[in-house]
Amino acid sequence: MHSPQQYLAAQAAPANGGAHLPSVGRREPALQAIGITKNFGSLEVLKGVSMELYRGEITAVVGDNGAGKSTFMKVLSGEHAPTGGQLCVNGKEVLLRSTQDAQTFGIETVYQDLALAPDLSVAENVFLGRELKAPGWRGRIGMLDRPQMLAESTRILTELGAKLKSYRATTQSLSGGQRQGVAIARAIKWARHAILMDEPTAALGTRQRDMVYEAIRAAAQRNLAVLLISHDLPQVLALADRIVVMRQGVAIANLVPAEVTVRDVVDVMLGAKPT
Amino acid sequence: MNKLAYDDGSTWFYRLRETTAFWMFLILLGLVALFSLISPHHAFLSVNNFFNIALNASQLVLLAVGMTFLLGAKEFDLSVGSNIVLASILAAKTITALAGTPDEVAVGDYPHLGLAVAVGVVVALGSGALFGLVNGLLVTTLRLSSFLVTLATTAIGLGMALVLTHGANVPDIPRALQTDFATYRLFDLVPLPVLLSLALVMLLWFVLAQTRFGVHTLALGSSVDAARRAGINHKLHLLKLFALMGVLCGVAALLDISRFATTNIGGHQTDNLQAVAAAVIGGTSLFGGMASVQGTLVGSLIPVVLGTGLVIMGLDSFYQLILVGLIVIAAVYIDQRNRQTRF
Repeated sequence: MHSPQQYLAAQAAPANGGAHLPSVGRREPALQAIGITKNFGSLEVLKGVSMELYRGEITAVVGDNGAGKSTFMKVLSGEHAPTGGQLCVNGKEVLLRSTQDAQTFGIETVYQDLALAPDLSVAENVFLGRELKAPGWRGRIGMLDRPQMLAESTRILTELGAKLKSYRATTQSLSGGQRQGVAIARAIKWARHAILMDEPTAALGTRQRDMVYEAIRAAAQRNLAVLLISHDLPQVLALADRIVVMRQGVAIANLVPAEVTVRDVVDVMLGAKPT
Repeated sequence: MNKLAYDDGSTWFYRLRETTAFWMFLILLGLVALFSLISPHHAFLSVNNFFNIALNASQLVLLAVGMTFLLGAKEFDLSVGSNIVLASILAAKTITALAGTPDEVAVGDYPHLGLAVAVGVVVALGSGALFGLVNGLLVTTLRLSSFLVTLATTAIGLGMALVLTHGANVPDIPRALQTDFATYRLFDLVPLPVLLSLALVMLLWFVLAQTRFGVHTLALGSSVDAARRAGINHKLHLLKLFALMGVLCGVAALLDISRFATTNIGGHQTDNLQAVAAAVIGGTSLFGGMASVQGTLVGSLIPVVLGTGLVIMGLDSFYQLILVGLIVIAAVYIDQRNRQTRF
């Protein structure tokens, strides 16, 4: 099992040892969960969830309230340590003890509450915790490279199609969709393997949702694996390459959007249709 | 022009006028102009008077800048007064104990003055830092509100100071501290404590405005969850902030015993509120996420200018309290209006 430091060393010099697990199917998953369990006291929330996320693919996880979707995502993002099971990044088993560990392994998360600091500027939020130091002596005395941080943030958000009046503005002055765009831009900026998104369009208007969906597609086009938790089934069908249905802590079905309808998905979610 | 159009060619003046510090600076200039014009024989308008004002603000500004960092991180330290009292007593006792025998010290003879002062400085800074660290540890490990923790340590610190001194100020502090430091004027003009405070203020402005430490401080005040998820060790950062506040209290304690050649056990009970008021006047938000060291510098000068001006005018300096209160209200109003943008 790899700690973040060992993983980074292995990335720098490709592994000879390392706990390589056999890749499933034709491609190696960017992120793989194998038999993940999670207990809170005597409550068994995840009962052996296995899932593979592939580069360039959007995998939607759907399920009724209490199905374990958010808990599963928190295990992948390092917020919750799993009780059992294995997590693999690029085929190497890893140990995620914190969100920082997940970030070190190239996994970024867009939280439902966005995890933005409302009083900081767009650029400061995009680089929060990973600020750029100025070149030369200014960097040696701890000075930030604010122009570069601003330019980078502007570039990413422009590429995502987010139109902001100012990138110096605090994120609290932005609309809900723009804030979501900043959170996704930050994830895209730093993710190397996978982006996890929990209800990214909750409480957004139609136009803002479309903007966020475009940003999600852009993330996948950058060869990142995208995991999307959403209750918006019509959009999930339009957006996702694969749908995993969870019920009572178990991943019970793998569906191809082109082959199912919203009614089919709901039936599987509620157990009205055999899997 | 749109309020958020900074990237589209707005001027530096446009940005400046959106800050509370700018408006407070105008108020400060207005007060200086007013007192200069109407004071008898224009007594207010003299370089000497301005440096006296700076000297009188030199302790407050240190506390207010430390408070600026804490408020920026959405924390409080109400114990700064007790911290100063305790640090000044420990430093004074150390200096008088090491400077010579009790008999020598009693007659004003200090054969080991240099060593005594050097150790006294270390004791004051160490005591202040330790006091701040204890505050920080209580806040981070017990997860208690800093408001309540520092309210409690205010009493504990003052109690310890009274136990150590039985309520009497420490006498026989070497006058050389006054003559060679506190009242010494570089080029017969600039008091050394002013230079020391100004240097620290400039350093801390740089830290808050230009470094990762500053961004992380404001991030904690803005959203502790966002900061934590971004990988910022929020507990360690808070410890550093409380320790910084403590060190600044230690410096203020040294200035205190140097200026007055005695400790001042009963004289620091409102330091905490003055420091908070100076920070808020300068545009630092009580709700975290926004802080300005340059604003705090202005905010520290306004009460002193008011006090000095009223005295020179022959008016009761108690009016200063009313005027400072009104200015705090104005500052909070401007802060509320401008919260949408930050530079």
